[in-house]
Amino acid sequence: MIEQLRFWAIIILLAFGLFFTFVSAVGVIRLPDIYARAHTASQTDTLGAGLALAAVALALGWDSMTIYAVLLLFFVFITNPTAAHAIARSAAESGIVPLTDETEVDVEPDPSTPDEGDSQ
Amino acid sequence: MAAERVLVPLSDTVTVRQTVGYAVQSCPGEAETLEFHLVVALPYDTEMPEGQSLTEDAERLLSKAESWVREDASSTNVTIDVTTSVLGDDEYLFGPRDYARTFDSYAAAHDIDRLVLDPEYQPGTTAQMLQPLERELESVGLAYDEAPVERPARHERLAGDGAERFDKIFAMFWISYGFYLVLGDPTYWFDLVTGAAVAGIVAVSLAHVTFTFPLDRIGSPIRTLRFGLYVPYLLFEIVKANLAISLVILRPSMPIRPTMTRVNARVRSGLPLLALANSITLTPGTLTVRADDQRLIIHTLIPSAREDLFEGSLERAVRFVFHGRTGARIPTPEERGDTEIIRGDDL
Repeated sequence: MIEQLRFWAIIILLAFGLFFTFVSAVGVIRLPDIYARAHTASQTDTLGAGLALAAVALALGWDSMTIYAVLLLFFVFITNPTAAHAIARSAAESGIVPLTDETEVDVEPDPSTPDEGDSQ
Repeated sequence: MAAERVLVPLSDTVTVRQTVGYAVQSCPGEAETLEFHLVVALPYDTEMPEGQSLTEDAERLLSKAESWVREDASSTNVTIDVTTSVLGDDEYLFGPRDYARTFDSYAAAHDIDRLVLDPEYQPGTTAQMLQPLERELESVGLAYDEAPVERPARHERLAGDGAERFDKIFAMFWISYGFYLVLGDPTYWFDLVTGAAVAGIVAVSLAHVTFTFPLDRIGSPIRTLRFGLYVPYLLFEIVKANLAISLVILRPSMPIRPTMTRVNARVRSGLPLLALANSITLTPGTLTVRADDQRLIIHTLIPSAREDLFEGSLERAVRFVFHGRTGARIPTPEERGDTEIIRGDDL
């Protein structure tokens, strides 16, 4: 009974992991610009890899390898957003203008008002 | 020239005495009266429990500095006028930008044209403050002068007093020993012995690199426990946001509305800000593009993610981890007016 439950839990975790990885790949292809792609390239991947690693930990059972899987999970959760931030930041620093609603609406470059005002 | 007015922001550093001395002797001789404005800018959250003692410390420092000024100026024959005040007790001062703005408005109100800056200036924050503060002072257009001081070598200062140093080494030792045994075999004597040796070396050599701030014997373990509560909450948020984003991506029409937003976060620089910015990036739909002190520039993919961001639930959770339950009870960024949707090319 417990064995069967574990088996199906592993299958479900893997299936969801696969699903989120698939969504991430679709997102990278479909989304319009580097900022939007950075969202999905790293983030959906975090959950995809996270669920797959959780499945691995469950499959290994109570073993020292399980601890490695959990540690891997931990490091994925720290490094992934850092990498996404690094990509987005370097994109911003090389002057890539993100595609936003506003840029789509006013294609004509208006005399740009210096909008440095703080919101206080 | 009638009067020379100088603004000296003070903080409790090893070089504050020399800075005051420099401020006095660097004034040009032709001025008849010298007006010294000594200010202490209080960091964030004075209404929190530790805020009261911060205010008392500030007043003690101000009265000490006032007597230093009089002492240094007693040899000259100019009239000395000292004004002391505590700034920022009615507002939140977070990053260097807030400090620069506060100093600038004070200077404008008192017709001050020069600011003498302590090179070690560090008002309550743990992060190194001087360079960003200089940058912000330049951007608000306030002239400043850095006091040339002689200071003890930094490693002595970082070492701190004995108890502080012991706390850091103690914490570092058990963290690295625990990690070693997790990877090794905690029942095998060889691993126990080598682990203790390795953890000892790591603790002695790296403790002051790992913890740049003094540890709190009660506060730090509590924070660690609260962080343990934060992780499941963050996981829940990640799964929720992932599902929302996945639905949007898989829909044929793909109804995304990317926007750039600026959110002024009310968390301290360093670890809390890192935790917040990383959590925001981990949650799909929001991506931290820039983190200039407390001004986070965040790219959001769908409106619901943006609304969640503006409601500041992650910010409150991070404040809960570092300040406890009372610290988490703050208005949302939207209510504070700390949110702003900016144009894409206005990074």
